[in-house]
Parts: sequence; C-alpha cells; structure tokens
Amino acid sequence: MGGICSRKRGQEVNEEGVRRGITRKYSKSGSSKWLGASFGRPVEPETRKNGVPSLLELCIYKISQDVDRYKSFSLLPRDLSQQIFDELVYTERLNYENMQAFRDCALQDLCLGEYPEVDDKWMDVISSQGSSLLSVDLSGSNVTNIGVGLLKDCSNLQALAFNFCDLISDDGLRHISGLSNLTTLSFKRNNKIKGEGMRAFSNLVNLVKLDMERCSEIQGGLVHLKGLKKLESLNLRCCKCITDSDMVSLAGLSNLKELQIASSAVTDAGISYLKDLRKLVLLNLEGCRVTAICLGTISALVALLYLNLSRCCITDVGSEKFRGVKSLKVLNLGFNNITDACLLHLRGLTNLESLNLDSCGIGDEGMAHLSGLSKLRNLELSDTEVGSSGLRHITGLTTLESINLSFTLVSDGGLKKLSKLASLRSLNVDSRHISDAGLSNLTGLTGLTSLDLFGARITDYGTNFLSHFKNLQSLEICGGALTDAGVQNFKGLSSMTLLNISQNSALTDKTLEIISGLTQLASLNVSNSRITDGGLKHLKSLKNLRTLTLESCRVTAAEIRKLQSTDLPNLVSFRPE
Amino acid sequence: MKKEESVKLISAEGFEFVIDKKAAMVSQTIRNMLTSPGSFAETQHREVTFPEISTTILEKVCQYFYWSLQFASGKETEFHIEPELTLELMMAANYLHT
Repeated sequence: MGGICSRKRGQEVNEEGVRRGITRKYSKSGSSKWLGASFGRPVEPETRKNGVPSLLELCIYKISQDVDRYKSFSLLPRDLSQQIFDELVYTERLNYENMQAFRDCALQDLCLGEYPEVDDKWMDVISSQGSSLLSVDLSGSNVTNIGVGLLKDCSNLQALAFNFCDLISDDGLRHISGLSNLTTLSFKRNNKIKGEGMRAFSNLVNLVKLDMERCSEIQGGLVHLKGLKKLESLNLRCCKCITDSDMVSLAGLSNLKELQIASSAVTDAGISYLKDLRKLVLLNLEGCRVTAICLGTISALVALLYLNLSRCCITDVGSEKFRGVKSLKVLNLGFNNITDACLLHLRGLTNLESLNLDSCGIGDEGMAHLSGLSKLRNLELSDTEVGSSGLRHITGLTTLESINLSFTLVSDGGLKKLSKLASLRSLNVDSRHISDAGLSNLTGLTGLTSLDLFGARITDYGTNFLSHFKNLQSLEICGGALTDAGVQNFKGLSSMTLLNISQNSALTDKTLEIISGLTQLASLNVSNSRITDGGLKHLKSLKNLRTLTLESCRVTAAEIRKLQSTDLPNLVSFRPE
Repeated sequence: MKKEESVKLISAEGFEFVIDKKAAMVSQTIRNMLTSPGSFAETQHREVTFPEISTTILEKVCQYFYWSLQFASGKETEFHIEPELTLELMMAANYLHT
C-alpha cells in the first residue's frame, strides 16, 4: 500500500542508495492490529498487553468478517469506523458494495493505494467524508478527471496521492487547485500531465512535498511552483523532459531541503541556478550529464549532507572543487570516470560517513587519501583496482561498519588488514582471488552479521572458520567447492536468516538435513545442486522461510507447493514454480 | 469472593455485576478509576456505574475480562461475539480501553 497516505510529519530523507525512508501507514486513529499481524503491517505493541487481543480488536475483526451485514457505520465515532475501514483494506475485504456503509462517516484517512478495482464509482463515498477527510491515496486506481473533481469540496485535505493513475490529466489537476491545505501531493508516472497543467499547483501555497517522478511531459511546468515558498521536497526523478531552463524556476524556493532530478536532462548550467538553496540537505543527480563544474555551485549549499553523483560525467578535471563540499555525510561517486587524482580532493571531507566509489578507476594509491575519513561507516569499492596494499590505508578507520570489496584485486593476505576493524558488520569479498586462507584472516571480525563470499574459492576446510561469526545473519558461498561435509560447520550459526550456497554442485539432500536446525532462515538458495524432492522434508522445521530457490535441482514445483501448504505457511516465493 | 477482592459494575439499567477486581482491571479505564489516588467515589466503594452501557453489553464485557485472563495464562480459546452486539460492544470496549 502506498506510504504516501501518511500525514506524519518529520524530515524524511528518502533516496535509494542513500538512506531508505520508512514508508509506513500512519493514521491519526491508528489502524487495528489483528492477531499474528503478518508481514506488511507494522505491529504496534502498545495496543496489546501480553499478546492478548483487546476487545476492541476482537470486535473489529468480527465486523470485518461479516461486513456485508452492516448498512452503515455512520453512527460510530469516527475513530472506530476508521479502524474498521483500515482493517477491511488490509484484509482486502473492502469492495464497492460494502464501502457504501462508510458514507458520511467523517473518516480522515483513506489509504487505498494499489487497492484493486478502485474507480470513479468509489469517489462518491470517498467525497462524502467531506471536511473531515485529511488524506487520500488512490495510487494505481482507475480514477479519472471526473473522480478527482469530486474531491473539490474536501477542503481540509492535506495529503493526496494519485501515483500511476494514467487516466488523470491537466483537467483533473484543475479540480484540486482550490485545495489550499494540501501539504503533500504525488502524481508519479503520469504521461498526460503537461507543464501547463501544473498551473493548478500555483495556489497550493502550503505544499511541502511534491512528487512528479516519471512524469514525461511536464517541461516548463516548474514555473508554476515559484510561489510555493513552503516547498521542502521535490522529486523529479526520471523526468527526462526536465532541462536546465526548468531549474530557473527553482532558484527562489529557499526552503527546499530535498531535490531529486536524477535521470533528467539537467546539466551544469542548470545546477548553477540552485546556488541559493541554502537549506538543501539532499541532492540527487544520478545519471545526469553533469561534470565537476557543478561542484562550484554545490559548494555553496552549506546544509548539504547527501549528494548522489552516481553515473554522472565526473572526471578528475576540476575535481579539486570537491574540497568545498565539506558538510557532506553521504557521497555517491559510483560509475564515474575518476581516478586516484580525484580522491586526493576528498581528503578534507572528514564528515563523510558513506562513500561509494563503485566501478571507478581508482587503485591502491588513492586509498591513502581516505585514511583520514575517521567517521566513515560505509565504503563501497566494488569493481575497482584496489588491492591488498591499498587496504593498509584504511586499517585505522575503526568506525567502518560495511565494506564492499567484491571484484577488487584484494587477495587472501590483504584481508588480514581488516582484522582491526571491530565495528565491521557487513563484508563483501565476492572475488575469485579469495580462498580459505582469506577467510582464516577474518576470524577476528566476530561482529559480522553479513558475509558475502559468493565467488570466492571456499572449500569445506574454510567453513571451519565460520564458527567465529556467531552473529552471522546472511552468508553467501557459491564458489562451487562446498560439499555436505562443509555445511556441517553451519550448524552453530543460529542467527542466520539468509543463506545462499547455490552453485555447489556436490551438495545433496544431506545439506538440507543439516541446515534444518537453522530455524531463523527466511531465505534459502541451494540451486544447481543434487537436492531432490526426497530432501524437501527436512525443511519442515524452517517455519520462517519466505523464499526458497532450488533451480536446476531434481526438485519439482509440485512437491514444494505441497510442503508450502502443509508446513511452510510463510513461504511466499519459490523456484522452480 | 472476599469483599476487598471484588468490584461491582452497574449497567445503565441498574443491573449489578460483582466480579474479581483482577478481572475488572483488564480495562484500563476501570483500572484508573480503582487505583488513582485521591477521592474517586469508585475507589472508596468498589463500584462503578456505567450509565451508557446496557446490561447485555456489560455482561459480554465481563465475559471478555475473564476470557482475557485465561488467554494470558495460555488457554487460547476463541471469544465468541454475537453479530448483533458488535457495534455496541465496540463502543463499550473503546470507552473501557479494553
């Protein structure tokens, strides 16, 4: 369900690869939580004492079970009818017919994002909530301009989402131009809205958050946002129609905190108009054709913490301008044509907590420039020329929690240099250069929760070292050399939730028997092995299993399905299927 | 039942339910009434009147109190609710914070 229907305030920085904001349903009245609330619905323990369902919950559950008996809920206090409504949405029992019972219930939140079969017919009951209505999410519905028009009189609306509603065009936008209490508005992936249609937004003076991601025809429309001085967050990702001239209109939006123009047509010239956005915290330029020249402007953004320049046109030329962006906590430079010469200019960015250099042309010498980044927690060096001697420069970065060294030149001996990084939780050394000897050099990292040895040449002997990683939750060993004997060493790894030991073609049903004790497992992959239908019975104890992948084994979908129905209620995805 | 371990709940029609204090305390509202320091009449006399709750509903509420205690001690049975009572019961549950 769409998280947009949230009226919850607060700074939510929400940019993939930087920090994933938590989208969560929130209603003023709180949604009911029924017994054993499963995935997807956050459990709010304060509604429940000792796991006993409250009488209120029992009533809501009962009502939602035979909802068709009820003609109207309008006599209930609105917070109660709201809870019934939320339960019906959650359990997908709501339909056009029983929805009628909610007419004039003074509901505040109608979170119907991605709900099946919603169309203009539903709008009548929705709009009957009148001035009580505060948030509506109709993302993915078939609502048209006519349906939008019915919301005209819901004058207190604060949040509105019509993502993926491709029947709505400029005419629909005109209907909401009077809803001046709107603070949050979202029209993701719409090809009908034109720049001219955005004129309707010019009256929405309280707008704080606007999301027009993947709207392909809105060029020239940003001019209508000029007066929206309260705007803090603007998402224009993948709007290829947005160009430098559109940036002019943003120059005066001095309260803007988050701007996402990834995969737009904006270049350095466009960025130069943003220099006065002194409150900007997040700037996402991923995939834009910007060069290091834009850093001149970006240096002026004194509040900036998150900068995504992944897949841009940054080179060493002009990279000395990085010295100016001192406030940054998170910097993504992945997939740029930069070398060690550029890293020299990152030396002074001592506030950095996360640095992504994925697939950049950097090597050992460049690592020396990172040695002073004492707050660094995440370092991404995948697909670079960094080797063992380069790691020597980061041995002092004791705050590091996550390092990705996949497809680097780092060898077994080099891993020894990580041994002092006691805070390390996640390590990716997916590389053919790594073998059992490398694993033996990591045994001091007892805090590891995630270890990726996907392509490493780990044999049964190497698995002896795994006993040092008691907290391991995620492990991948897919180098091909593992046999059942090696899997024996997994037995003590009782926190494991994700295990990938595919591509080890010698593994047999015995492997499943051994790991049947890892009852926390939620994801298991033993593809390309000798597992047969006969081995599946060992999985019965893995009650938390959600995904099971056994491709290219002697396993049939029918047998997995049988197991799913009798013993694995949480299994939602499996292969073969 | 000793007097100090029981409480009296009185419905709108004046019908009296004498139940264990422990059971009544399942309701956050009743718990507050019975335990708040000061001079709540309820604290003194161990009886609470609910002018808004009918006898039928209050009886069901009392059943729930005992069911809840059983459930908490591991006896996880189903609590039956007659469909015609649900709306009224829901409002009472809301009021009683139960």
